[in-house]
Amino acid sequence: MNSAKKIVLAEDNSMLSMVLKFRLEKEGYKLLVAADGKEALELIELHNPELILTDIMMPFVSGLEVISHVRNKLNLQTPIVVFSAAGQEKIVLQAFDLGATDFMTKPLSPNELVLRIKRLLR
Amino acid sequence: MSIYHDLIDYLKESPLIIQILWIMTGLFIIIIIFLIFRLRSLRKGLRSKGRTIALYEKKYEAYLLNYLYSESDEEISASQKVIISQLKKSTKDPFIRKILLSLLVKLKQEVSGEISDSVQRLYFQIGLVDYAVARLYHKKWYVIAKGIRELNQFQVKAAHDDVMMHINHPRREVRKEMQLYMVNLFHAEGLNFLAQLEMQLSEWDQIQLLRVLQQLENQENLNIKSWLKSNNHSIVCFALKLAEIYSDIESIDEILKLLHHIEQRIRVESIRVLSVLNAVQAKYILKADIESRSTEEQIAFFAMMENLFDVSDESFISAYVDHPVFEIKVSALKILKVINRAKFDALKTESTDPHFLRIITFIEKN
Repeated sequence: MNSAKKIVLAEDNSMLSMVLKFRLEKEGYKLLVAADGKEALELIELHNPELILTDIMMPFVSGLEVISHVRNKLNLQTPIVVFSAAGQEKIVLQAFDLGATDFMTKPLSPNELVLRIKRLLR
Repeated sequence: MSIYHDLIDYLKESPLIIQILWIMTGLFIIIIIFLIFRLRSLRKGLRSKGRTIALYEKKYEAYLLNYLYSESDEEISASQKVIISQLKKSTKDPFIRKILLSLLVKLKQEVSGEISDSVQRLYFQIGLVDYAVARLYHKKWYVIAKGIRELNQFQVKAAHDDVMMHINHPRREVRKEMQLYMVNLFHAEGLNFLAQLEMQLSEWDQIQLLRVLQQLENQENLNIKSWLKSNNHSIVCFALKLAEIYSDIESIDEILKLLHHIEQRIRVESIRVLSVLNAVQAKYILKADIESRSTEEQIAFFAMMENLFDVSDESFISAYVDHPVFEIKVSALKILKVINRAKFDALKTESTDPHFLRIITFIEKN
């Protein structure tokens, strides 16, 4: 399990975090869960994950700020997948401008997420 | 004690207004102290409730997770059966039921596919659907509204008749939830409630229904023609919007009849929709009696003429270039500019009215 790829998941819905953590750990990834953007940044700096999954709307530090910090302050090229809700198209475009790699609209399918992660970490 | 007596003496010797002011000051201080303590106790209560909710949420999140990821060859695994039975017992407590329901709703809103289907299944298995249906018979309107919203979120089609009985509920919020339930779950067919709706369908209700309808893939089977005949004027307005959005040419004959509707708002709206649908017949009907119509209808008619005019309208239009109503005058001049440019240009030299000339110059440039 030492070789398990690390993924930081930043999501304020604890139930969704648990569901995704369980599903992705079943696929062999190591999940580091953050309840907000601030916690996510701490985990990213501490563990240097292979992938970042982040919700856009979060308390304290938003998903956009997480992307900006990773790309501009930490200068990391780690793939970042953002979760957005319907109607947040403009924010998704902003996320891509800041350096997001991919996005998924909520409600999201855990199975589809697994496929995307596999593709990104190939 | 001497200070106390001094104060009493001071109060007794003071004028009445000073005495009243001191008494009121004392009263306010007591009230403020009471409120501070009350606020502190409320905050403490809320924090404690928050902690309890968080604890229960953690507990039931674990249950849900175990349920969702229990694998078995059977339809329901043994461990799932145990969880269902435990959750069923827990839902008897309204406080826990509320927590459990909020967890299910939160998850259902965020995930799709198999997990979403499992959440839906669990909702039925632990009997939450029965509580939601029971809410529809509650005395308080907001309980009913919440019940309908929940049935909508969990797509409980079987509650159709129970929800439908609130079609003419006196509270707008209940009616709104009922309408959204119908359209979300039964799509175009769900709009059949309009035939029985006696209450007004507000602009906001109409916007929400249109928003749901536009998200649907299949927008056929809209019974627009019959809604245009409704005695409920708000439904007629809504049907006109539908006819416009879905370019329902089949409704033109029915909309033409609305040109003589008793309500001006509907007549004006009909003119506008007929213009969008390019219904030339409307032009002839309106030309015949435009003088007897209200100013709003005349303005709507001339806006329609900008879309449906032809060269034969020249003499009719020319009669309105000096109309006292600005909108009518502008529309007539715009049409004349296209039909007969020479005549339009001649107006510039014929008129000395600076206001009229400004309009002409503006139309000329645009």
